[in-house]
Amino acid sequence: MKVDQLSILSSWIWLIVLTILSAFVGDVIGNQFLFIITVLFIVFLKGQQIVDVFMELGEAPTKWRWLLLSYVILLPLIIAIIYLL
Amino acid sequence: MPNELAPYGPLSDRQTGESYLLATQQYKKLPGDLAMWFFILAELTVFAVFFIGFAIAEQLNTDMFIDGKAKLHPMAGLINTLALITSSFFVALALKKIQQQLTKPTAIYLALAQVFAIVYIIVKIGEYQFLFDAGIDIETNTFFTLYFLITGFHLMHILLGMVILAYMTAQSLKRKYQQELSGFEAGACYWHMVDMLWIILFPLIYII
Repeated sequence: MKVDQLSILSSWIWLIVLTILSAFVGDVIGNQFLFIITVLFIVFLKGQQIVDVFMELGEAPTKWRWLLLSYVILLPLIIAIIYLL
Repeated sequence: MPNELAPYGPLSDRQTGESYLLATQQYKKLPGDLAMWFFILAELTVFAVFFIGFAIAEQLNTDMFIDGKAKLHPMAGLINTLALITSSFFVALALKKIQQQLTKPTAIYLALAQVFAIVYIIVKIGEYQFLFDAGIDIETNTFFTLYFLITGFHLMHILLGMVILAYMTAQSLKRKYQQELSGFEAGACYWHMVDMLWIILFPLIYII
């Protein structure tokens, strides 16, 4: 995935939208389980943008990309498990 | 005989391989340098322990954490998130400009990145002051101990990141990145790491 100025701009807009969404999602979703899963899924989506676009690891060797992506996959997952146990 | 892969004469085996990969667009390079990546991984690990510890502590002290979070300002956290994301955005743009060897736009974007980092710092200090004025500090209870430790540690990373960004700005203006960009990339990746940590920290402490 080639990172250019347009993809950086798109990524920034997407990050802003996701951030605002995550701040107000609690007002929309009443179910605690669904709320936590949604918020932490948004964390993953935002993290993926930072890793692939801002850090440009989308163009990096696969193992490094997946090492950083695993952080924003596993950590929200672990936190979700702790909260939902 | 010179060709498109070796216009200046014969290449070594390594150069031939790299040229082939470049030509076939399969070459993937890790931005920055390995030392910075090991540092980034170490910091991510430390914060992972903090975040998991916070989540566990919350499950063990639910009422205390509900009370504690009620005393925070989610809007301040939201402003800080937007500020850091925007700061990272400008750092990413600065990298694109320095790749084109456009020194002034690079410096302008880095300066904008630092402006938004200053917004973050002002809001964070304001938050701390508000809590101190309410008689709340790091010793108040477990929630606030963790709150001040985690956000304070993150703030220290922001301050270090600003020093790095300032250094990158100065080096850009001196045209020190004409031959090699790995130093710039390393600094940029460090800043994006700090942003990524806040992206996890904000919902954990302010939202959930």
